[in-house]
Amino acid sequence: MGTRLIDLSCGWCGLRTSRIGILLIGFFTFPHGALLDDRQIDRSAKLDFKNYEIDSSFYDEMFEVDGSPRTHCVELHSTLTDLTQLELSTMQERVTRSFYNEGITFIVYGDEAAGERIIPIDCVPRILANAEWRHIEAGLDQRLRGLNMFLEDIYNEARIINDGVIPVDVIRGCPQYRIEMRGLSAPYSAWVAVCGTDLVRTNDGFRVLEDNLRVPSGVSYMIATRKAVKANLRNAYRKSQVLDVEHYGKLLLRTLREIAPPGVSDPTIALLTPGVYNSAFYEHMFLASELDAELVEGIDLIVNDGYVYMRTTSGMRRVDVIYRRVDDDFIDPLIFRPDSYLGVPGLLHAYRLGNVTLANAPGTGVADDKSVYAYVPDIIRYYLCEEPILANVQTNLCRQPEGLEYTLDNLENLVVKQVGGSGGYGMLIGPHSTSEEREEFARQIRADPANYISQPVLDLSRAPCLIDNEFEPRHVDLRPFILRGRETRIVPGGLCRIALPRGSLVVNSSQGGGAKDIWVLPT
Amino acid sequence: MLSSSANGIYWMARYIERASFMCRLLHIQSEALVDRPIAEIEFGWRRIYRAIDRSPLGGIRGTDPEDDYTLVDAYLLTDELTFVRQNPEAILSCLERGRENARQIRNCISEQMWTALNTEFLRIRDIKLTDIWLTSPGSFYAEVLAGIDRFTGVATATMYRDEGWHFFRVGQFIERVQFSCSLLLTQNTLEVQYGDLSDASWRSLLRIFHASGAYDSTHSIEIQPELVLNLLVTDRRIPESLLRSVDRITQELSSLGDGPNMAMSGALRRRAGRLGALLRYDWPDCDDRDEVLRQVLAHSRQLHTLLSETYFEYAIQGLPRSDVR
Repeated sequence: MGTRLIDLSCGWCGLRTSRIGILLIGFFTFPHGALLDDRQIDRSAKLDFKNYEIDSSFYDEMFEVDGSPRTHCVELHSTLTDLTQLELSTMQERVTRSFYNEGITFIVYGDEAAGERIIPIDCVPRILANAEWRHIEAGLDQRLRGLNMFLEDIYNEARIINDGVIPVDVIRGCPQYRIEMRGLSAPYSAWVAVCGTDLVRTNDGFRVLEDNLRVPSGVSYMIATRKAVKANLRNAYRKSQVLDVEHYGKLLLRTLREIAPPGVSDPTIALLTPGVYNSAFYEHMFLASELDAELVEGIDLIVNDGYVYMRTTSGMRRVDVIYRRVDDDFIDPLIFRPDSYLGVPGLLHAYRLGNVTLANAPGTGVADDKSVYAYVPDIIRYYLCEEPILANVQTNLCRQPEGLEYTLDNLENLVVKQVGGSGGYGMLIGPHSTSEEREEFARQIRADPANYISQPVLDLSRAPCLIDNEFEPRHVDLRPFILRGRETRIVPGGLCRIALPRGSLVVNSSQGGGAKDIWVLPT
Repeated sequence: MLSSSANGIYWMARYIERASFMCRLLHIQSEALVDRPIAEIEFGWRRIYRAIDRSPLGGIRGTDPEDDYTLVDAYLLTDELTFVRQNPEAILSCLERGRENARQIRNCISEQMWTALNTEFLRIRDIKLTDIWLTSPGSFYAEVLAGIDRFTGVATATMYRDEGWHFFRVGQFIERVQFSCSLLLTQNTLEVQYGDLSDASWRSLLRIFHASGAYDSTHSIEIQPELVLNLLVTDRRIPESLLRSVDRITQELSSLGDGPNMAMSGALRRRAGRLGALLRYDWPDCDDRDEVLRQVLAHSRQLHTLLSETYFEYAIQGLPRSDVR
């Protein structure tokens, strides 16, 4: 293998350069910047954006169409163009190395043999002006309030169905609708206490791609990325007065305490994880640490007399709030999947009695179903009497004859998704598909139209990334994290996901996507 | 503290301690390969395998007069004890299990501990014996030992002194007692089998316990097996001596709460006391030292079981009333 690591003069980890190279090659293939061929590097040269491609079809997060940096990006642009290639590649390497050493990893299902992976982190942050963020923040708050009211309603009076705003079969036909939750309420109607909403930007502005209302993940990578990037771009970070995201744990704790069962003033909080082999285990551990809560598995908990207890070294101790990172299907084998070993028998019984709070509540998945997604603007109008601040992506429901016909007629131009799919799996990106793939998808859609939606291919915005020692544009999205207890809390920023292969639109980490920091400026 | 977290910390400490012992044994063995007689090398292998109660894949060839055969043996045995994951006692397996436990309880240990362990594991994970064999396997073991020492040093310097710390220490010392006891028993057994062992074999034993200098200054540079044994068992000034390890177990247990079952907790503490009494009062006057060591080993294994039943996997007897928090 001709590839090897650049010569690191700082000796930051005490290993010989060649050894680091061997280790990195053995551990993962990092597609951009970490491993460099000496022949490609002029160590003293400064990187500029001369070869950076600006295409007016895509909104560029750093540059105007004429190639000048956007006003709020001038400081960062100046910093980046002042750095030498060696400094930039070393910085990229340090950021990667910090994830590697700290074991900030995830596992891809179906590829367990590959072991733990790190998300490729790009060291160039994406910047949002304060006004842009305020717009996003207001939109996210509005959206989550509306969705929580929707959940409270459909599990109780179902006014929205009775009033004909949403067809009953969209709700009741959704596998994530949990009949067991009917008649229940959540404290402050916070059925969804933790939400991760995926946003994309086109030349027309921000749009919501999807709401993740079950067990959204990624917040630990947001914080880890922030720590790693700010440590390497210290001056630019300080000068830009970037708004903080690292207090997320405190806000989460405050939210979880607020939604404790009535009468519990000092709740015991536990984070329920499926275990160390879950793809997001690092995040579970990280959040338990941030919350100073116990990280429990189902086997650590027991339900007795309608209360939940955890096994501690001093005996059984009652648990009041469970931030669960286990899917609905697995949380209680007495109610949902009987073969689940990840959950706790009787947990839903304790929940129904109001003796324990589950965040998020079971059954919230109905509100992030891709069919229901199409109705979210109507949901906001119905409950809040407001126009949606953040637009949806135009969505064709294949369950409707006109949506089905349009989808089948335009497969080569559309993105087709399964309504219950996630992680970039089970989708067809029309323009990047073969005719065989389209035929196969058409067959599947005809067989079960209600299981599919289609959307136009979006011109996702692009941001500069350090790829093979050059700045190159890559498509990005944005996942902010929204908390809802007595009030809505959002840290200014989120996880910016990157589609790393040139031209790719798939940002999911399980599909080779990367991530970068998002800096929200104070003005 | 969550029982499963305490259990994870306890096992993390045990696996790392086991890796440390194996590393020291192999470090000394790798040095012996350079210039010691074949009989002594063979003795070294037998001592290691017997101490871990395991047979080598394919057996040990024995004192073959042709060096080449011994070297082939040494290569395979070293690999099995260092890198072969199917061998649970191999250094890499122990570190992997220690890291896996650490990964599950990262929120209960310091960041620095995790990073020290993770980097050390990742450093050696992809190394193969061929990478180190022709240059200096001794240096490799010294580096791994330094990595393990760094981890334990970082733990001492950074870990919060809560229950987790005490379970960490109990795990460390129970493993130390069990491994030391097995090794001392093995040394005695092989001495009977081989007749008188060479000074070198006793000297290497002292080095495994980091007690070579202590022996010289306490006694003399002349090796007397009886004195070596006494030193390693009862001299509390030696960090790895049996008595010191047992005393530390007692001390750490006294810092832990009683757990949910007072009777079980009492049994645990009595067992630890019995262990100390064996070494303090039975050892000095006994005729059959192997018998005492066997008892120590048996008691230490029971200590592990009692610890587990007291804190980790206790039977649930009558949950608190639902209005009790």
